[in-house]
Amino acid sequence: MKLKRAAALMMVSVMAIASAGCGGGDDTKDSSTGSADKAAESSADDAAEDAGDAEGEGEDSNASAASGDLKYADIKLGEDYTDLTATISLFNHRTDLESEDYNGKKWSEYLADFNEMYPNITVELTTDTNYADDALMHLQSGDYETIMMIPAVDKSDLSTYFISYGDLSTMQTQINYATTWEYQGEVYGVPSTATTQGIVYNKKVFEAAGITELPKTPDEFIDALKAIKEKTDATPLYTNYAAGWTMGAWDAYIGNNATGDNTYMNQKLVHTKDPFKDYGDGTHAYAVYKILYDAVANGLTEDDFSTTDWEGCKPAINNGEIGCMVLGSWAYPQMEAAGENSADIGYMPFPITVNGTQYASAGADYSYGINVNASDDEKAAAMVFVKWMTQESGFSYNEDGLPVAAGSTETKLAFDGVTFLEDEPSVAGEEDLLNEMNSESELNINAGGDSKLQNIIECAHDGSKTFDDIMAEWNQAWSDAQEACGVEVTE
Amino acid sequence: METGKKKKSPMQWARSRKGQQILISIAFIAIPLLLLFVFTYLPFGQMVKFSFYKMKYTTPADKRVFVGWKNYLDVFRRDDCFGALKLSLFYVVGAILQLVLALYLATILSFKVKGGNFFKGLMFFPYLISGIAIGFIFKFFYTRGFVFDTILQWCGFQLDNLPYWLKDQKINNWSLVATSVWRYFGQNMVLFIGAIMSVDADLYEAADLDGANKFQQFIHIILPSIKTIVTLNVILSITGSLSAFEQPYVITDGANGTGTYFVIMNEIAHTSQKVGLASAMAVVLLLIIFACTILQKLFFKYIFRDAESEDESYAAKKARLKAEKAQKKAQKGVA
Repeated sequence: MKLKRAAALMMVSVMAIASAGCGGGDDTKDSSTGSADKAAESSADDAAEDAGDAEGEGEDSNASAASGDLKYADIKLGEDYTDLTATISLFNHRTDLESEDYNGKKWSEYLADFNEMYPNITVELTTDTNYADDALMHLQSGDYETIMMIPAVDKSDLSTYFISYGDLSTMQTQINYATTWEYQGEVYGVPSTATTQGIVYNKKVFEAAGITELPKTPDEFIDALKAIKEKTDATPLYTNYAAGWTMGAWDAYIGNNATGDNTYMNQKLVHTKDPFKDYGDGTHAYAVYKILYDAVANGLTEDDFSTTDWEGCKPAINNGEIGCMVLGSWAYPQMEAAGENSADIGYMPFPITVNGTQYASAGADYSYGINVNASDDEKAAAMVFVKWMTQESGFSYNEDGLPVAAGSTETKLAFDGVTFLEDEPSVAGEEDLLNEMNSESELNINAGGDSKLQNIIECAHDGSKTFDDIMAEWNQAWSDAQEACGVEVTE
Repeated sequence: METGKKKKSPMQWARSRKGQQILISIAFIAIPLLLLFVFTYLPFGQMVKFSFYKMKYTTPADKRVFVGWKNYLDVFRRDDCFGALKLSLFYVVGAILQLVLALYLATILSFKVKGGNFFKGLMFFPYLISGIAIGFIFKFFYTRGFVFDTILQWCGFQLDNLPYWLKDQKINNWSLVATSVWRYFGQNMVLFIGAIMSVDADLYEAADLDGANKFQQFIHIILPSIKTIVTLNVILSITGSLSAFEQPYVITDGANGTGTYFVIMNEIAHTSQKVGLASAMAVVLLLIIFACTILQKLFFKYIFRDAESEDESYAAKKARLKAEKAQKKAQKGVA
């Protein structure tokens, strides 16, 4: 009897422990590996060989050694490498392009077009909804896809993971935004598309509210939102608070849009004393975040921010239930595609005017990086694919982006009277400083700092902190980080 | 005897019965131990090592900066780390309610109940759903004017009088705790039922004959008999509530005052890339869990002191010893 009882208890406790073990991390990314592993396996041998010298000291020397004489600029599409047989893998963040219901051009169509020109190069695609984090994990494991969209790695580590497409001056004749992933004169990333930052809005709702001219300053914008609230049933501004990452979009406006200075984001911000202070003229970061605070405090946003639904907001703005949303231009095609009223959707510049001019940043979206540990054939095939995506595929046009290929003017975006600025790269020796500062201050500007923006909404809603309190806190965090990183501070 | 024995060569020893026994035991132990070491203790050791460094995930090993105890000091200095532990109290309260509910239902269901198996299955079912899916279910469940509000409106509540379940910071943590209770109580219940089943049915009959009511039977027969499983469940639940993660992470993204210790840790590690600090947080949490577990062990040792011996209660034992002592004293006096 006793033995039986003990056995029963033991059985039960084993079950409990086993189930406790399983409870934890049932995973989001089963789909993400699969085929990728196979491709990675085949290149594992070469990876082992290359890893040795890749780890070496001289970063310059191994960068050129890894890329050999393979140069982006020298590849002639349709002529070179047409008989090359290779299987390459691509790890990408655009899960929506894999879906059958996607209204635009799907991945399968791009790959089919590519195989018309290069029938022997097989591209195995993996997409992931949690790309930013998972991509870092893949890199860290050392066993990653042939082509990755370069995640947030330090520029000094670029050559450890990716090959160079060529030197900067040559690449600038080939593509725009070549400096995005440039380090010590070598270019490691080719942008998939380029985006600008503005506000996606519903033209019909704005018309119904009697807004004939698009707002150009924060005050005009808040007035417009108030008009929408009074005259229509639509939610004037939908925050997309719950999704989190969508809030991160607000950071994108504090550089070029709010200052009109294309060196601000990458060069000046780290050195600025109290960058979040009130400049008094409706510019700089203060003005950007104040729009959010004021909109929430005045009840111009959705009723219950904690249960906003990202997928649900797309048809809602398409049907005119939402006035506008602050999102990068990458979101524009998705809102158009979400319903029958694609003509109602518009994209306007961010309502900040600096000395009479409105600015918008044009910047690269995720860039293609090619695995430094891949075999030579795979590297060549990968570079051909990247060049084809840039030159031939029409990807950035289809996705409502700005052109990537140098000299191309194909784009659907029209910002009349708006000056486009492209962020200057950081000065030599400070490439990682913004990353360091972001990490140290935990503000994570343009780097997933969603929670600080969610906090603005919470405080605006329950009035627990004034806007100036929040900005003072951020200034403090920034100053502390500047001290910790030993950054020279200018007024 | 010993001197006369011939020394065996290793090969001979390996072929002997005793040698075979030892070798086979080692072979059997080696595999699980190796797995345990490679997948549990080695990564854990690495994490402890990381907690003394300032580093990101992608920082190459030679660029990591050793910072000593700084990360640990930061864990105690920052408000968000320990502030988050306060949220665990919500989950601890939830865990206690959950165990009481589970024990109550388990006791009822372990006797003959109509449709008992059906109810067991029904209540165990939520545990089988993935935590992420539960997150999505409850996100819509709590959305303004959606499922929960609709049900309450059927019951006669006015929508205007209902709180915002996830927006209101006074309520949102309870909403999340309720989700957690809903998910896990079925599992606790099944464990309890399993234990209660092993109680000898003759004891109930005997207790019935002695005139014990159901509640007395529960206190004096069932509870002492399943004390091991009660202890285990409490420890698992409290540990689980200290490390609550899925519900706040999926439903509210840890925003709006619902960021538990794990959610904060995740954000520090993955968004701010302060891997060293996050590792230090993990180690601190481990120590806290150790402390809690030991305290609980002591607590249960005290609670179940009656059940320690098989045939007499703690009070009876105490009385007996006292009586024996008095008797001895009396004998001494006589002598």
